Amino acid sequence: MSNPLLIFWAQLFGCREPVSHVPARAHLESSSQASSTVFMVMRRMRAPLITLIVIFSVSVVGLTLIPGIGPDGRPARISPFESFYFMSYTATTIGFGELPWPFTPGQRLWVTFSIYLSVVGWAYAIGSLLTLLQDRSFRQALALQRFTRKVARLREPFLLVAGYGRAGELLAKAFDALGQQLVVIDESSDRVDALDLASFHADIPGLVADAANPHHLSAAGLDHPFCTGVLALTNDDETNLAVTMTAALLRPDLPVVSRTVSATVAERMQAFGTPAVVNPFDRFGEHLRLALNAPASYQLLTWLEAGPGAELPERGRPPTDGRWVICGYGRFGREVIADLRAGGLEVTIIEPAKLGESEPGVIVGDASEPRVLAQADLASAVGLVAGTDNDTTNLSMLAAARRLNPQLFLAARQNRPTSAALFEAMRVDALLVPTEVVAHEVYAQISTPMLWRFIKEMPARGDQWAADLIQQLRHNCGRELPALWKVKLDTEQAPALGGWLAEGKVTLGDLLRSPEDRKRQLRVVPLLLLRDGTAVLTPDGDTVLAGNDELLFAGHGSERRELESTLVVDSTAAYVLFDQHIPSSWVWRKLSRKKPTPSRADDRGAATTNHR
Amino acid sequence: MNLEKVIFGFFVLLAATLNFGFFIGDIANPDVHNIYELFAALAVSLIATVLKFGDRTQIGAVHLATSLVADLQLVAAILVWIWAEEISGEGLNVISTASVVSLSGGALLANLVSVVLLVTETVTFHRG
Repeated sequence: MSNPLLIFWAQLFGCREPVSHVPARAHLESSSQASSTVFMVMRRMRAPLITLIVIFSVSVVGLTLIPGIGPDGRPARISPFESFYFMSYTATTIGFGELPWPFTPGQRLWVTFSIYLSVVGWAYAIGSLLTLLQDRSFRQALALQRFTRKVARLREPFLLVAGYGRAGELLAKAFDALGQQLVVIDESSDRVDALDLASFHADIPGLVADAANPHHLSAAGLDHPFCTGVLALTNDDETNLAVTMTAALLRPDLPVVSRTVSATVAERMQAFGTPAVVNPFDRFGEHLRLALNAPASYQLLTWLEAGPGAELPERGRPPTDGRWVICGYGRFGREVIADLRAGGLEVTIIEPAKLGESEPGVIVGDASEPRVLAQADLASAVGLVAGTDNDTTNLSMLAAARRLNPQLFLAARQNRPTSAALFEAMRVDALLVPTEVVAHEVYAQISTPMLWRFIKEMPARGDQWAADLIQQLRHNCGRELPALWKVKLDTEQAPALGGWLAEGKVTLGDLLRSPEDRKRQLRVVPLLLLRDGTAVLTPDGDTVLAGNDELLFAGHGSERRELESTLVVDSTAAYVLFDQHIPSSWVWRKLSRKKPTPSRADDRGAATTNHR
Repeated sequence: MNLEKVIFGFFVLLAATLNFGFFIGDIANPDVHNIYELFAALAVSLIATVLKFGDRTQIGAVHLATSLVADLQLVAAILVWIWAEEISGEGLNVISTASVVSLSGGALLANLVSVVLLVTETVTFHRG
């Protein structure tokens, strides 16, 4: 469909994809909650409004009853209409004067009385209205109503994010860069204010509410047809569990990603459908093991997970064998120790509290004390993990350890975001920031399922392969991670390739030639080829493509647009793939068909060999 | 006894009775229709409308609707009266009187529906 008119036609009259039916098992009524605001206003305005009506009626009737003197000097009363007109402009302090003719003293007496009365009435009515607007519950109700309306009007796929803490913020930035719409719920009004202040491309609706309440989740679009996933990222495991539960019960079709630091909560979450549970401590242990065994794979993993625009991280050189010292035997310590031991490493544990069962290699004592550290014999160790839940302890431990043994590989856990500068100044070799681990992990899982597939299969390919791929990415795209995007070679995304794909004449290397000059290759790195559920990592240029293949590419936006023009425009595709010039307009194509053209397949074969 | 119900019933009934009082009499004779009664009917009807604000039940919604209809009819009647008396310069003649009174007759119908609703509500009310 290279002709713009055809595209226009298709958009006008083509069958639009119908809005998918929501298979929600239960519908939660959140709109009634919001519309109650209006009723509240009406209820509270009853008394002031009635007061106003009474005051007006009394003043108007009173003025018509008082005898006056007409312009001709004869007694004349003001008609009810004139009286109403006079009272209207007097009560609202406009004051045109005494109309239709000058008043008698009796009328003036009544008008004086009614002026004071009406001022009181207006003050009461306006005062009540302003009080109502200041009212906290009313403002909350109003905010909920506005939020609900905003969410209901969303007409693009969005993710529901419960908890806008540090992890939520990082994720929101990454997804916003991808153009993915979000809806945010957080309990703290400070965080929702921060959401409003942050400079996002999209307008992200935020609500101050408890995410554990299903009504609030429903208001945030849980039963919206365009909701594509739920992310439970609050600091509270219980709330995350509640969100996971609600999403699994009300929208079983939605993917749920949930954060927790507790293995038992993770198990409870797994009881509801199949949520993807992210445990930052667990992941850090796995990452540390990967970093020890395959530094290049680890480097590639952290780079890809960091999202578009991220700098290439340094490749660490961790010791491959030797004894490790781990301080802190809490939930974090246990996960790391299990992973290190699984990697065949010897581990010494320092734990401040006395443990129930005495394990081999456990030293009891405060790790920040020099005496305790000396007991661990740091001089003969190769690595130290400072994993307590106190940043000050961790930092002092790192400083002491570095003084005792400058060659140590230092890994640390950062608990508070405010300590980031200190840990950076400390130059630790591996740093765990739980919120960042969660954000990167969720990003990798949700942004494109193909990236997650790639990350899952990547460690198996070995360290050398990862190092080569990093080299290739750096050569083509620079030190900053380019955007990752996927292409499905179907009639919608690659209409120009249709027939040639079926004939099996399209190779990946030819496809990635530049439409400007086909001798130049596009600066695009193919990361993954998915065909019928089997994945090929970094497919090479000779790979023959077939219909409905899915490809994951890394490359800059300009290169992506060039590739898209190859996929969509027939004449460009013919040039790029086969060095063949065909007219781009329909009329010329019809005309040129009259002359006999050589069979495309032959022509193409010749062209490709010429250029190789 | 619920004071709110007393006030509510009072205003709904008063709106209907005042309206009836204005409406009754020869439809084309201005002497038997007092403009103050029409004015009072409108004021009381407005109060009754405000009293019906904020009721979220189905019957509350119908109550509010009937009151709004009555208000609309009465305001129209008063506008016709103002036109006849002040603007046209002819004063109340047979035609304008008839239209004022017939408009108030429409309001009376709406007010009667209101009263019927009130009575129905009371009759179907069971304590406990």
